[in-house]
Amino acid sequence: MPTKNHYAFVMDIARCIDCRACLVACSVENNVPMDHTRIWVHDQQVQGVWPNLTHTFVPYNCMHCDNPPCTEVCVSGATYKDDVSGLVLVDQEACIGCGYCMEACPYGVRYIDQKRGVVDKCNACVQRLGIGLDPACVATCVGKARLFGDLNDPNSEVSVALEKAKSVTTLDYEKDGTDTNPNIFFLNLPATGSILSSDAFGQVAQTSLPRDPHYTIAEEGWKKVAIPLMAVAMGATFLVQAFFFTKQLVEGEKEFEE
Amino acid sequence: MSVKNIPLPERQRLRQKTFKKHNLANILTHWFNVASWLLLLSTGIAIISSPRLGITSIWWQEAFRNLFGSDANLIRFHYTIGFIWIFVIVFNVFVGFRKYFVPFAAHRMLLDKDDIEWIKTKPLQMMGFMKDKKLPPQDAYNAGQKVYSYFVVVCTIGIMITGPVMVFKSLFPPIVKQIAQPIHFICVFTIVAWLFIHVYMGAVFPEEKEAFFSMFSGKVSAWYARAHHEKWYNEKLKEMMEWEDQVEQEVREAKHLTEESSGPD
Repeated sequence: MPTKNHYAFVMDIARCIDCRACLVACSVENNVPMDHTRIWVHDQQVQGVWPNLTHTFVPYNCMHCDNPPCTEVCVSGATYKDDVSGLVLVDQEACIGCGYCMEACPYGVRYIDQKRGVVDKCNACVQRLGIGLDPACVATCVGKARLFGDLNDPNSEVSVALEKAKSVTTLDYEKDGTDTNPNIFFLNLPATGSILSSDAFGQVAQTSLPRDPHYTIAEEGWKKVAIPLMAVAMGATFLVQAFFFTKQLVEGEKEFEE
Repeated sequence: MSVKNIPLPERQRLRQKTFKKHNLANILTHWFNVASWLLLLSTGIAIISSPRLGITSIWWQEAFRNLFGSDANLIRFHYTIGFIWIFVIVFNVFVGFRKYFVPFAAHRMLLDKDDIEWIKTKPLQMMGFMKDKKLPPQDAYNAGQKVYSYFVVVCTIGIMITGPVMVFKSLFPPIVKQIAQPIHFICVFTIVAWLFIHVYMGAVFPEEKEAFFSMFSGKVSAWYARAHHEKWYNEKLKEMMEWEDQVEQEVREAKHLTEESSGPD
């Protein structure tokens, strides 16, 4: 959906050195619990054949997709794509922490904050944007690998970087009617090696990103079984009462009747 | 139970005479439940805004969010009314009705042979078939009402458990909250499906008009009781006659005593 601001991240892979300052800045700024993270830096390991070797690091966080699968499953409306900034945000007061959205994200960027019982993720430091600052990770990146700005503004650093870039890649997920159109653009991402998901400590889980959105059994059951079942039940009882009500209206009421 | 066998003066007497079917606690609890359900159902339906489930109209969702100011406030209102409802119903059933509830449930809410027969016959009769067959006598609540009550009890317990699970979100792991949502939904709409019948039969169906007004006054006529709830009617008759006998006995004793004390002049 077209929004007033079209915020996006640009990550220059040639510049990222895996210092993880962005992780630290984000955790401090957003009170991220110690066993979770909103940012991952994937180590692509040494790739290629001598002498053409690369060893690159791919930082990523919530992609703030144009068509996020996560907002499709939220029952209470707690997670939504903001219609002004275009960011995908979570209203912690409405969130019950069920995790439907966490399972649906193809990039695995959401986590459950069990202490508060809610889901959380990168919010592009929307509290900093409001006072004219960049997100903490972008402000702290010494190598200027992380860029952030409004793609609707042709003079923003992201628009300029994308225009000048030699190679631009996104981890777009497009399948079965879902087309996420993520808003993290990777510059100079080598063609070899895939991005694998990992946890906060760099332990690699063998899922390559993006992955298929996972719809939980509870949600699938709700959508495919419970709703049709209830629709049938209510339809049936409604028709039964409608039948007798119509019969009653047609027959009319007699004053003296046993 | 043919009405042709009852002479007219007797019939008129039966229509005038009333028995108390619902006490005040019953009546208030019932209407409290109705009011709570109206608020909870309307706000609950407004909360379910998942585009993938696509159950409720966007208009309804937006209207309620505008009314309450945000998703969070709408949810807070819903569970506040929810907690009040849980407290009042649980209190009324277990504390208010304590002496009354278990014997009532054991005596009046279980299905017996007459009830099973009624279930087989009544729907056909309502459609106009088997008019000659005599309906088996029913107790204070007929078989249909008993079956409805089983669903209500089970589903109400389901609602009262899954609701707080979603409110006390930091106490439960995500999987519990994932399952609680569809169960809450199923319990609510099972009752809603039954409500189409319950409201129709209680308030709209012409034969049950007295039943509807009894939910305000607490009383039904002996005529209605005899026609629809014969076993209960017979019990009430017996109670009434025993009471009349007892009063008569007390009057006789009192008269006897006064005659003794004043003595034959």
